[in-house]
Amino acid sequence: MNFVRYAFFLGCLIPAREPNYENSVRKIAPKLGVELVEMDGANCCAPFSVQSVDYISWLALAARNLCIAEQMGLDILTLCNDCYESLLMTNMILKEDRETREKVNAILADVGQQFKGKTDVKIFSDVLYEDVGLEKVKNAVKAPFNGLRVAVQPGCHLTKPKRIHFGERTGVRALGELVEVTGAKSISYSAKDACCGGPLRGINDVVASDVAKQKLDSMKAAGVDCIVTVCPFCFLELDRGQLEIKRHSKEEYGLPVLHYAELLRIAMGMKLEDWEMKTHKIPIIKILNTVEAK
Amino acid sequence: MEKGVMVIGGGIAGIQASMDLANRGFQVYLVEKSPSIGGRMAQLDKTFPTMDCSICILAPKMIEVAHHQKVHLLTYSEVKEVEGSVGNFKVKVTRKPRYVDEVKCTGCGICAEKCPIEAPSEFDENIGARKAIYMPFPQAVPRIMTINKDDCMECGICEKVCPSQAINREQKPQEIELDVGAIVVATGFDIFDCSMIPQYGYREFKNVITAMELERLLCASGPTGGHLIRPSDGRIPRSIAFIQCVGSRDRRDWIGHPYCSSICCKYAVKDAVLIKEHEPKSLVTIFYIDMRAFGKGFQEFVNRAKSEFGVEFVRSNPGELKEDTSTRNLTISYEDPVTRTVQNASFDLVILSPALVPSAGIKELAKMLGIGLDNYGFLKPVDSVKKPLDTTIPGIFASGYCLGPKTGDIPDSITQGSAAAARVAEILSSRGMA
Amino acid sequence: MSSLDAYFMHEVANTPRGRGVLACIQCGRCTSSCPVAKVIVEHNPRRLMEMIILGLRADVMLGPVPWYCLSCFTCLDRCPQGGDIGEAMFAIRNLAVREGNIPEGILTQARSLFETGRVVTSSRMALIQREKCGLGEEPRIDVEAVQKILRKTRFDKLIQRDR
Repeated sequence: MNFVRYAFFLGCLIPAREPNYENSVRKIAPKLGVELVEMDGANCCAPFSVQSVDYISWLALAARNLCIAEQMGLDILTLCNDCYESLLMTNMILKEDRETREKVNAILADVGQQFKGKTDVKIFSDVLYEDVGLEKVKNAVKAPFNGLRVAVQPGCHLTKPKRIHFGERTGVRALGELVEVTGAKSISYSAKDACCGGPLRGINDVVASDVAKQKLDSMKAAGVDCIVTVCPFCFLELDRGQLEIKRHSKEEYGLPVLHYAELLRIAMGMKLEDWEMKTHKIPIIKILNTVEAK
Repeated sequence: MEKGVMVIGGGIAGIQASMDLANRGFQVYLVEKSPSIGGRMAQLDKTFPTMDCSICILAPKMIEVAHHQKVHLLTYSEVKEVEGSVGNFKVKVTRKPRYVDEVKCTGCGICAEKCPIEAPSEFDENIGARKAIYMPFPQAVPRIMTINKDDCMECGICEKVCPSQAINREQKPQEIELDVGAIVVATGFDIFDCSMIPQYGYREFKNVITAMELERLLCASGPTGGHLIRPSDGRIPRSIAFIQCVGSRDRRDWIGHPYCSSICCKYAVKDAVLIKEHEPKSLVTIFYIDMRAFGKGFQEFVNRAKSEFGVEFVRSNPGELKEDTSTRNLTISYEDPVTRTVQNASFDLVILSPALVPSAGIKELAKMLGIGLDNYGFLKPVDSVKKPLDTTIPGIFASGYCLGPKTGDIPDSITQGSAAAARVAEILSSRGMA
Repeated sequence: MSSLDAYFMHEVANTPRGRGVLACIQCGRCTSSCPVAKVIVEHNPRRLMEMIILGLRADVMLGPVPWYCLSCFTCLDRCPQGGDIGEAMFAIRNLAVREGNIPEGILTQARSLFETGRVVTSSRMALIQREKCGLGEEPRIDVEAVQKILRKTRFDKLIQRDR
């Protein structure tokens, strides 16, 4: 099998709260021909909160990660929409704007790095779609879901701002097809493009919940069995968020949330371990019953 | 064939140019790619601000130009090759086969009545149907049927019922070569594809239509016989919204139409008033960014729309539409300019005012003629201030909306048609060819 | 109402990510596309642009509005003028932080970043889970490099201020 190699950028949130996501990815990647190479010393991508504080700090921190990948001679694969956004935007800005690039390189020189613009950034679902290909993913599916009704949560930063993602990136369509290849059905719902509210969790919980609620209401109205996410922020917001909403307004949705990597892992015939099941605050056990053994 | 002048495009600008030139004694070849002349004006119900019936004004001109001794009508034809220079252009025109004998056909229409195949009618903006053998609209000129080979299944019924034996399946494309001294391009505009602005739900939600589709619904010759009913269930809509600037004034480069299309504010108000005249109890709202009603009588018309007809004007560009899956009504999200809060309002029917864009095929035509296009894809005059109707090639002129949105409305197209004719006459007489 | 600052619009336009304010024609599409504007009346992107253009500096800088933004970029993608409002929000927040206006939640993440190289540190539970499944220790972060960078950009000073 031909392997594609990527510099593996984990970000902060997955190691901090969702090691099950990392675990699933590490289990399925080798079977699909994706080699994940560790990025030694990589730092936080500098997401929303950091960008809100200072511009150059953001660019310099994000650029340091790009430099590490450049030195490895590899493109970056990330699992998180926010990391994707931050690194992709930084890459674009520094490639195009000479003045800013020089400013950032002056700071990076202090830590022994220089941005040269030689790497690219990809999100996990696009790597599966473009590098691995649907055929290969389909062939790896040994225990397909039996028409499980899924609300795909692409997340805002998978495809917005359009001018960064436009043309080269596959985004939402790819994710939908990747879900269907596991035997599940991607169900259309009116709020598919809407934000989950995640960025404001911990900053303004009332707004975060209200925004999540709009999303969940729309999913419930469309009659889905579960939600599938790419971004770990979306995951937390829609999974734990349901408990928050229940606490405040007593409204219950009972919609289990899965990382796409977990969905695929199950469809490839692997079982989730107990501790992994427990990380899902809305129990996922009922979904597993729709899997057929081939 | 005699040397003369070619006019490409049989809309109002092309018709006017042809008439003026023919009246001066020039031999005119009027080339039109669809089966009938008439263009966009034939599709409209009423014109603004006088509310005249559009086809009633246009049809006499269509007949006059078709019957003029000095006009040779080449409908269902396309320009294939152009060589030469001013005074001496050699143009190859392909006449597409109608599979109907043009001399024998009387346009009686029995064939179309009996034809078993239905296809979307291009003239009705694909919301109405025509047959595989058809006349695009009742007042079509020339009054000859046309068979669309792609739709036809060759059942032979038309042949059987035609009282004049006019069906001729052996027809082949005919290439003719014409020797002309000058050319006038008048190819008009196309309609922006509103599905490029996905949050308005065009093509996704049945009751979201374009203004041109609305014209066909309001028009007595249209698919509903002039009754305004909504596409999903045929009910009469009681609450109607117009959304302006869909695609126009849009600087995002994937949309590509940063200009103002210049006639949408006017026609939206006209259509709003028409709807109110049809159904006085209906609620009609126009969502706009600016109300551009320039020229004589237009601002007064807008004022009347408000005061006399009760049309609501809301200065707010809506962000998105959602559809109620049971009623197929649309909910528009917009910021209310008075309370400054986001409101949701429900409508039975939503009409989008799309950008008006260069005609399909203009790139190829411009290449053939060797004339320049501007950044928006419209024809570029050699000097937009001093010589606004001369293209970059001497002897080739342009008139009407193919030059872009500087054309305010129908009288402007007519004026430019006459002006282009005058330019042609000037150039050719200076060469002793008048 | 505070006094008007005629230069404020240009101050924002000259801040990185803030150029878009100059393009705004106040059409309102952004506000009716914004998921937060639907739930919080105060959060109105169009009105924020209006306040910037009018020069209501103090209201914008000290107010809560820029901090309600989710940076979902719906407004940015839909703005017909290329007004980049979603980007301008970052520019305004950067300016506000310099004036000492920074919400607690952002401060917490920023401080965590400076101290550990991460905006959110691993919970005890996560560390136990890593061990259980054999993922091993969490990836090594070069905290020194992070701190060097953030000192050079004076990020550490920005997050030090008392609110």
